[in-house]
Amino acid sequence: MASTASPGKTATALVAGWLLPGAGHAVLGHARRGLVFFVLVMGSFGLGLAHDGRLALYSSREWLLSSMQVLANVGVGPADTIARMRVYGEPAYARKDGDPDPKQEARIETFRARWRSALSIYGTAYLWTAGLMNLLLLLDVWDLSRGRKD
Amino acid sequence: MASHVVHLILYSAIVAAFFAVLTRRDRREQLRFGGLVFAGMAGGVLLLAYLMYPFPR
Repeated sequence: MASTASPGKTATALVAGWLLPGAGHAVLGHARRGLVFFVLVMGSFGLGLAHDGRLALYSSREWLLSSMQVLANVGVGPADTIARMRVYGEPAYARKDGDPDPKQEARIETFRARWRSALSIYGTAYLWTAGLMNLLLLLDVWDLSRGRKD
Repeated sequence: MASHVVHLILYSAIVAAFFAVLTRRDRREQLRFGGLVFAGMAGGVLLLAYLMYPFPR
């Protein structure tokens, strides 16, 4: 039967797994598997950025859909924040439609410009997939640490 | 890169590899399961596209 990890190790693995895809598996002693996951998740994330994937912004007009999109993006960890700083010039996660603030207008225009890109549909799928894969990895890390898998 | 087919192959390969490594431990099992997922995704889309071909836009 698979062994159970201590609560401290479980927490470390979960945090590490979110910070760096695959690192949670490495913490639990599955380094090779973690490396494969890192390549797959970050490969998908890189393809998403290279294809003008939309980094979702929360909007109160479409609160449910936009919050699910943001969650799918955030799942990949701090790499998402770094990407937002490159794309939006700041770690932007929400938009306020109709706000006269030039910063908000620039943010929305950047978002729409990526939306208009012919490649955006592919890029967005890759970005969401990367985030959702990493969230699944965190569940896997939890199962491994509880001894439900080996 | 704006080719639907290239992205279909690439995306299916990434997802198939991910689920194969996530759900199977034995290398041979991973290859078998990954191949099945890949074939299901890529083949399913191509089959659906073929079936939809006669319909006008």
